[in-house]
Amino acid sequence: SGELYCSLPNPRNVHFESVNMKNVLHWSAPEGTGDGVLYKVKYSVYGVGKWIRKPECRNINRTWCDLSSETSDYEEQYYASVKAFLNGKCSDWIETTRFNPLTDTKIDPPMVSVSSTEKSISIILTAPETWKRSPEGESISLLQVYPGLQYNVSVLNKKTKKRWFFSISNNTLVVPQLEPDTVYCVSAQIHVITPLLHSGFSKEYCIATLKDKTA
Amino acid sequence: LTAGNKIFHFGPCRVSMSLTEIRSGFTAIKANVQARDPVRTLSILSHPHSLHKVKSSDRCCITHHLFNFYVDKVFKHCKTEDSYVNRKISSIANSFLSVKRKLEQCREQNKCICGQESKEKFEQILLNYEALNITSAAIKSLGELDILLDWV
Repeated sequence: SGELYCSLPNPRNVHFESVNMKNVLHWSAPEGTGDGVLYKVKYSVYGVGKWIRKPECRNINRTWCDLSSETSDYEEQYYASVKAFLNGKCSDWIETTRFNPLTDTKIDPPMVSVSSTEKSISIILTAPETWKRSPEGESISLLQVYPGLQYNVSVLNKKTKKRWFFSISNNTLVVPQLEPDTVYCVSAQIHVITPLLHSGFSKEYCIATLKDKTA
Repeated sequence: LTAGNKIFHFGPCRVSMSLTEIRSGFTAIKANVQARDPVRTLSILSHPHSLHKVKSSDRCCITHHLFNFYVDKVFKHCKTEDSYVNRKISSIANSFLSVKRKLEQCREQNKCICGQESKEKFEQILLNYEALNITSAAIKSLGELDILLDWV
């Protein structure tokens, strides 16, 4: 559609929201425009600079656009830009700040699985996978993206309310010398030193140690 | 080894760096500094050659070159009207200066060998830098500090 006269107010707050390298461009509608606004999206690789249109986000009325595929090389940095259209009028192209997938993504907590014996609990932690093109696509663990990834683990004795904290690099932890027949609750967080990133703590996973057969 | 320092191994050369401190200083001014760089079509560090493609044998030499580059050609040309930003820049510059000296010792002890490839890669970085006027090139280089930190 011919861009007649760009006097439409601009889209606002154009920014990337990224979780586990799923990188989605978000924005707010121009002020005071109500329904019927359509948008176009383009992106560029920093240092290359050529703007590339995103066909799947051409003339859309939603205010987000998934650019995960286009920004999947986390050794690059990116800009994205949005333009609004309404009744033959258009806005300016409004850009994001420079987006660095490696440092600007948020990380989900790890998955936690626990098992127990009479006097110990075993914890296995799994880092989330990064975004992938399709369910069958190759999955890359955050561990590959952040080799220095560590886990902070909290273990709570539900009876005594005593809590321990562990910081581990590998993904398994055995906590020995516990009380039999007692409920322990485990929660874990991912911590990356370079760049400095950390997930929230996972929800608590509780398990009881077995009864002491000799008692 | 002061708090926040970490030992980095570049072959036989071992250097303690406060990368976390440098990175948190940069993160505080990143948006401000990158907003001062309107040139999207040129990168100092990542195009046409990505730092991530540097061979491990060249890492020490390239790292040494880059810390020299930032101390000698970048920080001193990055004065802004914002005193907060200036303070962060000088704190990062001091950290770079200390790492630069440690890498220099490695060079003097022949633990940081420079091959042809690292020479060429660094020459490309200088070419990119010289394609802009000094202030723009310095601000752009400063805005790319996360590229260097991600790579180191």
